[in-house]
Amino acid sequence: MSGQGQVSFRNIVKMHGEFAALKGVNFDIKPGEFFALLGPSGSGKSTTLRILAGLDTPTAGRVLIDDKDVTSTDARDRDIAMVFQSYALYPHMTVAENIAFPLEMAKLPKSEIAPAVKDAARKVKIDHLLDRKPGQLSGGQQQRCALARAIVRKARLFLLDEPLSNLDAKLRLETRAELKKLQRSLGVTAVYVTHDQEEAMTLADRMAVFMSGEIQQVGTPAEVFARPNSIDIAGFIGNPPMNLVPARYVDGDVIVAGHRLKTTTTTAGERDVVVGLRPGALRMSEGGLGARVDLIEDLGDTAVLDLDCAGTMIRMRVADGNIPGEGDTISITARPQDVHLFDPATRMRL
Amino acid sequence: MTAKRLRGIALLAISMVFLLAWAFPIIWSVMNSLKTDSDVLAYPPKLVFTPTWEAYRDVLFGSGSILPNLLSSVIISVGTTIVTMLMAVPAAYALARLRFRGKKFAGFYVLATQMLPPVGIIIPYFLVLRNIGWIDTYQGIILIYLSFSLPFAIWLLVSYFEDIPFEMEEAAYLDGASRLKTLWRIIIPQVRGGIAVTVVFVFLNAWNEFLFAVVLSGNTVRPVTVAMFNFVSVEQTLWAKLAAVSVLAMLPVVVLGVVAQKHIVKGLTVGAVKGGGRR
Repeated sequence: MSGQGQVSFRNIVKMHGEFAALKGVNFDIKPGEFFALLGPSGSGKSTTLRILAGLDTPTAGRVLIDDKDVTSTDARDRDIAMVFQSYALYPHMTVAENIAFPLEMAKLPKSEIAPAVKDAARKVKIDHLLDRKPGQLSGGQQQRCALARAIVRKARLFLLDEPLSNLDAKLRLETRAELKKLQRSLGVTAVYVTHDQEEAMTLADRMAVFMSGEIQQVGTPAEVFARPNSIDIAGFIGNPPMNLVPARYVDGDVIVAGHRLKTTTTTAGERDVVVGLRPGALRMSEGGLGARVDLIEDLGDTAVLDLDCAGTMIRMRVADGNIPGEGDTISITARPQDVHLFDPATRMRL
Repeated sequence: MTAKRLRGIALLAISMVFLLAWAFPIIWSVMNSLKTDSDVLAYPPKLVFTPTWEAYRDVLFGSGSILPNLLSSVIISVGTTIVTMLMAVPAAYALARLRFRGKKFAGFYVLATQMLPPVGIIIPYFLVLRNIGWIDTYQGIILIYLSFSLPFAIWLLVSYFEDIPFEMEEAAYLDGASRLKTLWRIIIPQVRGGIAVTVVFVFLNAWNEFLFAVVLSGNTVRPVTVAMFNFVSVEQTLWAKLAAVSVLAMLPVVVLGVVAQKHIVKGLTVGAVKGGGRR
């Protein structure tokens, strides 16, 4: 039953009346990949997942799975398993019955269902809870039950809609790591929706960043982090996100708050730009941009400084042992390759 | 004596007054059904008397036995309940879930039928049934009962269906279930409580119905609510027998009420708290 799990979206448009939820979305997912759909709420990432699952139909465009057009195929005929944000466990069935349900629907003989259920439950470590009802499980256990129900069928595609958002912080981190291991060991293609950039960065092999109904960038987490395509992505990825400061470009340099910074980006003539500076890419050095330390957020091994550079707010990450005092005046700079330039009109990278 | 204690006693007293007001006619009927006719008419009323089953023996096995009428009532009520549920469950599901043209109007229509005074439509109903020759038939009475039990059942069930999250159904589709399988395996087991409540209400409404029955029934099909009046005539009222029939007619109602009590209480508060009844 299990196939390749290769996905292509071709110019998918989804209209809700006059409102365009998706404005022509294109991407490809390779077999076996962990692919994240990342974006703020309302950006269209969940709609994209629902269209892939067959729970919504696109207004225009085509969805291909393993090179077959499935745009008008019913959800139940797509061989896709999904974990919902609410888990959507069947409350009147036991854990074992919940996990067995997809196999029953696939008309597997009873003799094969029982071992398969056991096996799936063991993989997510809930094999001691098989006789419980979902109402008797903790949030984390419910989440595992939903995972088991999704992996038991060995579908070709594994969809996850914000599966960790209902867990508490500690459990979320644990489950995140286990999820990645589970996906690797199963070798299945996974599509993961999240608004948490950290989740996407840590889990995904590649990710698509959604902004108001469009994909603005597709790439590995490292690529997206290193070269964000737009001001919106730059302000969304990273914790804290990139500093975005209005500046003026003058032959090879940018002038930020009265100070000249070298950049490797070149653009024609003299113009207004938005400069992007990662908090972690800033360093303290003599003769740089003068800044007063307004506030220090100490995170233990690092600290985030809120700096006032002649009225412009800039955040900077510094290592432990190198922390100035509040109210101190320091001088900061960045390597030319760390100075990103964006067009303030199109909001795209220069 | 604390204020809390006083409050409790006051509340208890008030509830006793209400309970008594409700229970009095029932107690009175049960007592009268166990008296002889002369004891019933005694004044002042006899509270202490020798009980007798004579009235029950007469109404069950005497010349004017009401057994056929009880059977009529059972056939009408059970028939109405089965046909109503067979149609109301899918209809309520559709109203709760599907998007279709005229859904709003359909919902309003269902509710509007509940606002009509039944007396207003009894003559048209009579004429229709007479023209198709269904007066004094089971199918005739059941058809007419459907006209009010069905909207009521749909209206009651919709709120139960609406309580089930969409994602539950979508999960079932992705697990490979068809719409019908999903309805049967996932949705209906979760609205069992609602279905039980609806069955009880529909059955009781049909069982207790009098107005339509008296107009649309005849000698062949004569439910017990109508037959009761055999014991009321111009010359006299056979109180003990009338009371015995009343008690017999009440029995299934009481039994159903006790059995389904838990569900009914939940049913009356459904929708008060969103999803409160479920998890």
